[in-house]
Amino acid sequence: MSVVERRSGPDFASALAHVATRRILVFSPTIHFRLSPGDRALVAPGDSVSTGTPIAERTPDAESVDAGRLDIEAASGKNGGAARAGRPTQDAGTSALWREGRLEAGEILPEKRSQMATKVGPWPSGTARHERRRPPEPGKWWVGGGERRGKSGKNRPVPRVGGTLLFEKQGRWRAAAGEHHQIVESPVAGIVREARNSVEVTIEAAGAAIPGAIAAGEPSRGYLDVPRLTDGELWASALDVGRAGAIVVAGSRISAQAISRARAMSIRGLIAGSVGQGELRDLEASELRQKASLAPSVPFGLIALDGHQRRPIATPVLALLAALSGREVAIVTDPPLLIFDVSEVPLPELPPDWIRVRSGIHAGREGRLLDTAGLYRFRSGVHLEAAIVRFVDETDTTILPFADLERFIF
Amino acid sequence: MLVSLLSRVELADPELLAELAGGERPIVAALAATWPRLEARTTPQRRIAVLAGSRRQRRRLEEAALRAGWLVSGGSADEMDLVALSRMVLSTRTSAVLLGSDRSPAGDERRHLPDLAALAAAAKQLRPELTVILAGGAAAFESTFAGATDTGPGPELSSDPPRELTAVVSEAAVRATEATDPVVAAQPEASAPPEDAEPGAEVTTWVADVPAPDDKLEGQSKATPDAPPVADLAAAPVLAAARDSAVFPSEVDRGVSPQILLAPDAGAGEPAGASLQQVLEGLRALPNDSRLGIARSIGSLAYVLDRTVEVVEIGLQGGLRARSEPIGGGHSAVVSSHACFADASFSPADPSEEVIDSVFAWSTTALDRHRLTDRLHDLRFMPWGDADGDGAVFRLAAAKAACSRLVDATPELTAHPMPDLMVAAGGIFASIPPSVVALALADLGRRPGVGQLVCDQARLLGPLGAVEDEAERRRLLANLADDILIPLGCLVLPAGVKSGRTAGKLRLQGTDPISEIELHPGAIQVIDLSPGRTARADFEFRDTVRLGTRGHHFSVDVGGGLCGLLVDLRDIPLRMSDRAESRRAALDAWQRGMWPGVDE
Repeated sequence: MSVVERRSGPDFASALAHVATRRILVFSPTIHFRLSPGDRALVAPGDSVSTGTPIAERTPDAESVDAGRLDIEAASGKNGGAARAGRPTQDAGTSALWREGRLEAGEILPEKRSQMATKVGPWPSGTARHERRRPPEPGKWWVGGGERRGKSGKNRPVPRVGGTLLFEKQGRWRAAAGEHHQIVESPVAGIVREARNSVEVTIEAAGAAIPGAIAAGEPSRGYLDVPRLTDGELWASALDVGRAGAIVVAGSRISAQAISRARAMSIRGLIAGSVGQGELRDLEASELRQKASLAPSVPFGLIALDGHQRRPIATPVLALLAALSGREVAIVTDPPLLIFDVSEVPLPELPPDWIRVRSGIHAGREGRLLDTAGLYRFRSGVHLEAAIVRFVDETDTTILPFADLERFIF
Repeated sequence: MLVSLLSRVELADPELLAELAGGERPIVAALAATWPRLEARTTPQRRIAVLAGSRRQRRRLEEAALRAGWLVSGGSADEMDLVALSRMVLSTRTSAVLLGSDRSPAGDERRHLPDLAALAAAAKQLRPELTVILAGGAAAFESTFAGATDTGPGPELSSDPPRELTAVVSEAAVRATEATDPVVAAQPEASAPPEDAEPGAEVTTWVADVPAPDDKLEGQSKATPDAPPVADLAAAPVLAAARDSAVFPSEVDRGVSPQILLAPDAGAGEPAGASLQQVLEGLRALPNDSRLGIARSIGSLAYVLDRTVEVVEIGLQGGLRARSEPIGGGHSAVVSSHACFADASFSPADPSEEVIDSVFAWSTTALDRHRLTDRLHDLRFMPWGDADGDGAVFRLAAAKAACSRLVDATPELTAHPMPDLMVAAGGIFASIPPSVVALALADLGRRPGVGQLVCDQARLLGPLGAVEDEAERRRLLANLADDILIPLGCLVLPAGVKSGRTAGKLRLQGTDPISEIELHPGAIQVIDLSPGRTARADFEFRDTVRLGTRGHHFSVDVGGGLCGLLVDLRDIPLRMSDRAESRRAALDAWQRGMWPGVDE
């Protein structure tokens, strides 16, 4: 088919406008860490966090616990109660039961930095003692003895449980608490925008990110390893112990075998064009087993840039990943992003008419948009708005539905 | 897009453009900027957490929430522990919490209600953006929330989200027909406050508005002369929902205003739960929601055409089934009912095994389960992609599966006779050949009768439903109905056709020459009848069948369409083998008859 190529002018701009845009980079993305009842935030809004800063403490084995009549205990002076200090009962609190602080008595709170457990809303001025004596409220950190779960007994150590308060009914509080806790570290540097116990921690990350379509596993961090890909894929056998601590670009698709092997080799994450739903289910089941065993494990994250069906990674994205090779990057799962430090990364140059096929039988192929073909009858007698495209390394042109195409913007 | 269209008009017929601009030759961008806009939007999916004291109550509440178009996470205190229930409520993906019980809660749920109310109040304290709905007897725990919100609790539904959404019917017509029509009879009940309403509390919540047909409807659209900025390349369509979420961080929007609402219990209304559904729908939907706009348009269309109209709409964020019927003396009013389901999306966000099974059941190609699941997920990422070849066949299977879920979830609409006009709406139907859309409607709306099949190809019913003024909407639809609804054909669907060599004969008068066709049991027969033409069809069946009434001989007026006249002599309901291969073969055979180019 002979087509006069038009790469300028209003008609060509109009043709390009029909093509869906895909943003390769987003800057200063906002990321979320979802918390559950029993989990607490260790940061406060406005805090700066750097890589590895503890941002939350999870309680994976949280269960419903009767925390007792906290106000009455306080008023009665139990556990060194506050009633004797003349404080009103509502503001009273004694005690180890509500103790949340790691600050010493009398220590002045910094203006921005909160205690390890936080309260939603503006931080009241005052002393650590005052903070420790805040009245109980939903989401507040609580530590109690094992006797409250009926676990006390002769010749047995009394386990202590920690978690967050759930709700109060008729003066008695219930808490979601457990014996085991896990610290969540921030995989990125940034500013904390929101921190609520039992709900979420939101961070505005410093740097830029490549958006993905799907993410699974846990947020993780490592150096980016871009190995040579064979036919667009990485053999699972290439994932060896030498890549421990790396986030590896695995090509067009991640297999279940590659995921298992990567986790066994302490690889921190995998990046691919696509990942099947079956593989995601396997990973989820594996994570649940890991959590059930309460054994600490290296965080492992996974990102698919395009979706579930097999597609090679887009060449502009691959070029960007290659430019980042060897640098520290982070996988975050909510939303799916690969985050990196933005400075000094050469961005690939893209012709304005560069397009990629994102779905259909040509999915993953790239080329140049030549012109529009109007309403065109495709296979199965379906009529769709069409574009004339020349793929890389081909001389013939191909007519494709506009809806199957995408172009890249930074 | 408007600038692009006007530029084409300028190239093809500059005088027409000048006429549109009022005489002078205009600058296209300036002209486009001056035209008023009618805005309609699809409400994004929102999740509600349902809390109940018992499993029975949870199911009832969940059903009302599902019918209102919410994604639902449900839990009852007798099934789940308090930590799991808290996790559900505190999830940032949850926009609202529905805590409900019977008007007079029985012991099994009454003992759990204080705990659940305390839990919901604590959640509201932790997440002030949550909207909490207390339904039925749970409203008695309103005071529990006193400290949970700055604005203070109280019945705030008088802001009337639902308004005309469930019914557009004159009160006179209600009184005239309530004794006979179950749908109409629902309205007076829906208007009554529950017996256990808090003394002194405003009960406007339960008063269903029943405006007269010409009443002005509020807050449904925005027609403004302000023009959006001229589109540039960077503002071209975005890639996929998942990538949107990468840029726009949370799926939880701020559209639902945080408050404490009181609502009727899950048994109020007719059918049971209709009143609660109405409240929840108004809470979920944006003011100019295009899906509910379709329901409004169907109501106007029924009035304009003086015919019973039913619509099945399948979209990415959900599906809608609506029915409108002219009633009263001189058909001066219209009674409407509808239900929206998030699960009736052709590609639900988190498809359950049942959803995968339903796509399997309607698929004509052999796919393994993993591959089908992957394709269904990718369809959500790229809803307009892969629309030709086997992609079109897969999309059809996904659309039919969504339709079947919608039909299964609305038995009260299926119980009505076949409508005069059946409309297929939604982008997925717009992208496949009309004959296949007609087959899909025949496969799924299996009620004996004769009806015209049309398709909202240009997808204008939703935006037109966003027109505020009912009279203006009727005028618009009266002018545009012939243009926006593509006639697919006429469906004749007799019930009770017995198997054998022949089922009888059809004689089609009004065509030249007069056609005489033998009818074959178990087949779907297509007779050419071009759009705009009408004919008289005389059926002579061998056995007694049901086609409105029971008999052997029927004479009906039929209209043409792109597909022609469809005489569907298959079973009602459609009976197919449980074996996947046999079922697939049967579906494939019917599909090939209607879609000759499927293998191209």
